[in-house]
Order: sequence, then structure tokens, then C-alpha cells
Amino acid sequence: MSIVIQPYERHHEDAVRAFNARLRAAGIGPDLVFYEQTHPEWLEPTCNSPLYNQYFVAVENGDVRGAYALKYERFHLRESGDYRVACYHHPLSEGIIDRRYSSVGGLMLRDALAREPMLYALGMGGDDRPLPKMLKVIGWPLASIPFYFHVVRPFRFLREMNVLRQSPLRCLLMDFSAFTGMGWLAISALQTAKRITTRIDKTIESATVDEFPASVEALWHSAKNEYAMTSVRDYDTLARLYPGEAKHLTRLCITRNASLIGWAVVGERRPSRKFGALRVGSIVDCWARPDDTLPVIHAAKECLIQQDMDLIVTNQSHTSWCEALSHSGFLTTASSFVFAPSRQHSATLKGDVSQFHITRANGDGLPRNF
Amino acid sequence: MNPELSRHVMAIASDIFNVPLAALSLTSSPETVERWDSVQHLSFVLALEEAFHIEVSPENIEQIRNLGDAVTLVQAKTGAGR
Repeated sequence: MSIVIQPYERHHEDAVRAFNARLRAAGIGPDLVFYEQTHPEWLEPTCNSPLYNQYFVAVENGDVRGAYALKYERFHLRESGDYRVACYHHPLSEGIIDRRYSSVGGLMLRDALAREPMLYALGMGGDDRPLPKMLKVIGWPLASIPFYFHVVRPFRFLREMNVLRQSPLRCLLMDFSAFTGMGWLAISALQTAKRITTRIDKTIESATVDEFPASVEALWHSAKNEYAMTSVRDYDTLARLYPGEAKHLTRLCITRNASLIGWAVVGERRPSRKFGALRVGSIVDCWARPDDTLPVIHAAKECLIQQDMDLIVTNQSHTSWCEALSHSGFLTTASSFVFAPSRQHSATLKGDVSQFHITRANGDGLPRNF
Repeated sequence: MNPELSRHVMAIASDIFNVPLAALSLTSSPETVERWDSVQHLSFVLALEEAFHIEVSPENIEQIRNLGDAVTLVQAKTGAGR
């Protein structure tokens, strides 16, 4: 019996449902299932966009034993311009639940590389998870993308942040901090110590827009070579990623003397056990010249505070954005958001992640988390 | 089966799967070796490629269902069984 990897088509749908049923029955987690429709709801292939998803299945005698997705898109290198890449995401293998299929994970990865050598993976929950371990084995470099957070409501944060309340003692300490106000003081002190008291220039304004204006195109071109590498963020890409009907995301345009200097996309994260009942806002994506990152971060933060978030989070790779976050009172901690370019892709990249512009909008996180 | 080649493949497996050589046999497989998961399977394949200067195709990766299959594959690729 041999396994053949092929594009996911309608006649595979029943087999994918059966595959998902086996995964669910094994109890590995309700989210670890593959898409049950052949056509991606997010970024469905169209004839004229370089940004689209495509799904593949590993089939053995009509049974699906694995599946993965590629998000094709364009990146930009300062040295050489735009180029095609694909994000390897959502790989699932029967090997997770049946050791007889241990080879499927590696098969799918090699298949993806054969289809598109310029690959990357992003997120993955940390470099100690199976996928990043596998990528490391085949020589992909791994780099964490810094994680930043800003606590808007310390009391609720201390009471609800489940990932910090992992033991009875920790729960007790956090409740004590919350109810005595000591936690509030500590968090506020930390966040204030890092913040630069900056008066945002009166010539700078921020506005919410339903759709990004055409002026984002000029901003893209004026800033793209300030970064050693970035995903393309031109007008067409933004229209595809953040169409007007995506009401769960807020688009901000930041101007100086009525000229666009930056934009940001913010949104509320889906509820998750990790955050308890907290309302968690995220700075999903952003763009500006490195000199203009501070007003953009300020606008994004203020917007999420006005939207009543308890906690604001983001992942940003470039030094300028990280500095802007620090100067806006964001704190940083361990990140599980990992960037891994394939060997061929890595060979073209000059510098490290601190010179690249990678955000939560890269990878497959948009529909999954928001 | 070429005994020397078998020993070499088993030694690589012992190293990758962190199992004493004496505990392995040609029938050892992901079902019987605890640390033989997807990640280690790929590590094993890469180690074989490096050790024997061979290239393992996707079809070959999937054919390695136990250590005996690995030995057979390496023999075929290197001609060492002849």
C-alpha cells in the first residue's frame, strides 16, 4: 500500500471527514482536524491573485492519512524585490494516533518542498512542538518572534489569566495581588517605567476606515525597502486580507498633516482557555516607515482600549516596532510564535528576524484566531 | 542481507531512537519503539542519507515500516547486498 499526496478535491471530502473522526476519537484536541471543504473559505484561489490557499491530502487506497495546506503569497526582499513563497500550515498526520503512519509527516513536508522550495512555517506554539522539531531536523532555522502585551485592567488580568494560574499557590498569590491592589500597582509600575512620555504630535491623526484607501499603495512602496524582508502589503494584498466585509477587524489609518504615514489592523481574539474570561485585543498587522512606528502603535493601543479590551497582545519582529511597543508601555515575555524558513528560503534572507517585518497577520492565524 | 550494513543501520537507529542496540531487531518498528515518532522517523531517514550517501525518495520514506525495510532500502540504494 503506498501513500500518494495530491491536491484536495471534492471526492476526498468523505475520507477527510473520516480522518477527522479518527483524530477526534483519539482525543488529541477538538481543533486538530482538517478542513472538511475542498475550497478554502479564506483566500480561495482566484485567477488573478498571488495570495491564496491550497489544500493537499495524503491518500492510501482511498483513505486520507494526512493533510496539509499551503498559503501562497509574495514577500519582498530589500536586495532583490518581490518573490513567491508559501506558508506550510495545518499539517495533520494519522501518525499522531497510529504509529504505523509515522512516515506521513515527513512525506508531506517533502511533498510541500517539492511543490514550492521557498517555504516558511510560522506560529507552531513554540519550538518544542513536533512540527518545529521536524523542521529543525531537516535544517530549517527557527527564530522566535517577540511577544508583547499590555494589561489594561490589572484586576481582571490577575483573576482570569489562566496560563498564570497553573497551581493552587499561584492562584492564591494572584488573587491576593488582585484584591489588595498590589498586583495593579506592580503591573502599572512596570508598564509606566517602560513608557516614554511622548506627546503624540498634534499633526498626527488616526481614523477608522471600512476599507483601506488607495494611498496605502504609495506607503507600501515608500517603506518596503526599510525592511530587509517583509510580506507584500500593497493595496491589492490589503484588500484581499482585510476586505470591507471582515467586520470583526478594525482598520486604522494614521496621518500626519493629512498624509498617510501608517496603518494598523486590530481585533479581538477568539476566546481561549488560556485567557479565561479576559477580552484580549491584538495588534494583528501594521505598516509604516521605521521612524513612524510609535504613532501607529499608539493609535492601535488606544483603539483597543476604547473597544474595552482587558489585555492587548501582539507579536512583532522588527526592532522599530518592538521599540515602539516598549515605549508605549508594553511588556515582553517568552514567545511561542516561531518563524522557520525552509533552507532554500533561508539562503536568500539577509539578516535576522529583527530586520524583518513579521506580524500575527503572517502565517495562517487570521481566521483561526480572530 | 549484508550483515555489516545491517549492523550499521541498527547502530544509526539506536542513536536516533535512543534505544540500546541489543533492544533492536529487524522487526523493530514505530509500533514497538517508543521514540519512533514522525520527527524521529524523519531524523532516521536523514541520518541514513548522510551515512550512506544516498537519496531517499518520498516513496522510499513511506516504505520504511521497520528496521528490516530500512536495511533493504539501503542495500538497494548502495548495491551493498550484491
